[in-house]
Amino acid sequence: MPSGALLFQSVILGLLLGGLYALLAAGLTLYFGIMRVVMIAHSAFLILAAYLAWWSHSELGIDPLLSMLVTVPLFFASGVLLQRLLLARLRAVTLTMMSVLLTFAIAVIIEGLLGYVFSGTQRRIQLGYGSTSLELFGARIAVVKLIAFGLAGVSLLALYLVMKKTTFGWALRATIQHRDAAKLVGIDTDRVAGFGFGLGLATAAIGGTALSLDTTIYPSLHWHWIGPLMAIIVVGGLGSVPGAAAAAMVLGLAQSLLQIELGTTWAQTVFYVALFATLAFRPQGFFGGRLAQRF
Amino acid sequence: MTIRRTRKTWATAVGATLALALGACGGDEPEAASTDEPIVVGISLPLTGDFSEPGKGVQRGYEAWAKITNDKGGLLGRQIELKILDDQSNADRVVADYEQLIGSDQVDIVVGPFSTRLVVPAARVAQEYGMLFVEPAGAAKEVFEQGFKNLFYAAPAVANDHYNHLAEYLLALPAGQKPTTVAYAAMDDPFAQGTAYGLKEKLEAGGVKTVVNEVYPPNTTDFSSIAAKIATSKADMLVGGSQYQDGVNLIVALQQLNYQPKLAAFSTAPTSPEFAAAIGNKTEGILSPTGYTQDAPYDSNKEFVEKYTAQFGSPPEEDEANAYTTGQVVAAAVTAAGCAEQGECQQKLIDWVRTATVDTVVGPLSWDETGKPKGAHMIQQWVGGEIKIVLPADAKETDLVYPKPAW
Repeated sequence: MPSGALLFQSVILGLLLGGLYALLAAGLTLYFGIMRVVMIAHSAFLILAAYLAWWSHSELGIDPLLSMLVTVPLFFASGVLLQRLLLARLRAVTLTMMSVLLTFAIAVIIEGLLGYVFSGTQRRIQLGYGSTSLELFGARIAVVKLIAFGLAGVSLLALYLVMKKTTFGWALRATIQHRDAAKLVGIDTDRVAGFGFGLGLATAAIGGTALSLDTTIYPSLHWHWIGPLMAIIVVGGLGSVPGAAAAAMVLGLAQSLLQIELGTTWAQTVFYVALFATLAFRPQGFFGGRLAQRF
Repeated sequence: MTIRRTRKTWATAVGATLALALGACGGDEPEAASTDEPIVVGISLPLTGDFSEPGKGVQRGYEAWAKITNDKGGLLGRQIELKILDDQSNADRVVADYEQLIGSDQVDIVVGPFSTRLVVPAARVAQEYGMLFVEPAGAAKEVFEQGFKNLFYAAPAVANDHYNHLAEYLLALPAGQKPTTVAYAAMDDPFAQGTAYGLKEKLEAGGVKTVVNEVYPPNTTDFSSIAAKIATSKADMLVGGSQYQDGVNLIVALQQLNYQPKLAAFSTAPTSPEFAAAIGNKTEGILSPTGYTQDAPYDSNKEFVEKYTAQFGSPPEEDEANAYTTGQVVAAAVTAAGCAEQGECQQKLIDWVRTATVDTVVGPLSWDETGKPKGAHMIQQWVGGEIKIVLPADAKETDLVYPKPAW
């Protein structure tokens, strides 16, 4: 039986990890909600943002957090363009299937370019405060992890407020709920879908920066992330942002706690076990999201 | 390219040998060279493909050995000529390469290729032809389980023996000081695990308790959970079976949790030039086994580092040193046996190496009946912002600091 101190430490680490998962999964579920698009390249953009943060720190000497001033607008614009120029051209009948192929190609292109420009060497941002930590009832919280968690929390809150309180957010949610009906009441769904996509990719920019603060990055790292993220959005209910966030926290915590008993290799399987269980017993997901039933 | 260069070297070598032979008429060479031809050494190396980086390092090591030896008059008065084939990092080609080198090219000596997995097929070909096979890269334990009678690994130790000097040192400490609990974390990789588990076996046999034993997959980037386990165990000592980045990540994660062991040892990572910057210069007291260092005090190493640097413009690393060591072992055998050609001579060479102790750039080497080296790696420690040799006692640059200062 693991000691209380270890359990408490693992719970804290799990929550910090879950926060990051929540932000990343929120973007991924948004794409599916808006367009029924399975965005395989989401995590590739995540790693791209991490590389940009690393590069701006090591080459330009600026704090990685400041790189978001550039990457967030850049990613938002890329998202809009990606949706309008590529994904909008896919035929509605085969959209979901074809979007897998299209975004898979984008992911491979990003990975290839990263490898070409930065080589396959593993990189890590070396921050002055990289190993400092705060103490909380005997457990330790690394400052960088706390910053990453804070970024995720603030972004999720901002996303929530945009979705709930702004006209654009209402239009976006209407488009997610019923595209044709949204069109009928006068919403320009194409435009909204484009912006929604941009919003999703902007979360990848923030997530990537948060990620780069405390882990090693290498070009093919995105394959390591896309599986768990896909599992999270299915468990949370496809298209549901709060569902994805809740599922992310639960699974992140579960992964962290299972590592105590099972070790790193086997703890990763918690995502896939949860995925199977969800598909077998509750395909619409555990936290809202009625979309999966229809597809 | 290769062919042309080989011809040119051939011509130069023949010329040089002729000149030497003429000049040495009635000289003091005891073996009165039965032939004036150069000693041709056949090698297959991955010069292109996945292993081209280390492959070229090994090539430079062999070239440095040939040049340094030739500049001193060669072996048995004969010049050394290397015949290197490119196996394109392809395991299938390595057998064909050695068949060609021994069978049709009739080389006098063969030495090993690069990468552990190529050593076994290559050694098998050499064994069929009864050739001596000294190799620079076969550290896995499988290599020594094949029953080879002709193979010798030219390095101080296989992975499991890397920490032997440290194990000896720790077990000899008085009861009050000896670490009583140890945490191990190793990458799921035969080499990395081999180093950590070699030490684990010896410490456990000496009554030191294992409190954490974690294995992680090669591309793990998040070490916080492993670090949490190690930190809460409050183990006296930490052993990381690491390559490079995993070692760095684990150390940073442990520092975040403010874990302060009395001793921390990691394989490979701490000897890398980027290590100190990667962990924010909090390196004080970290230990690492090392197969080769330019600072090693052995005589031939000083000569090697100096002449290698003159030849290539930068000091040699471990790949180069392993190839050079291989050359030194072959040279010692040839000199002692007084011959270098295919046929009966090869058995003489093998028999000599079996019982010999050869002085090399990595220290004196000797082998057991499977061709496994009997030595251990030197142990280096970060002391005062620099990595220095602390064990064994006869090679140390400074004393081992124990318990280590906080990081």
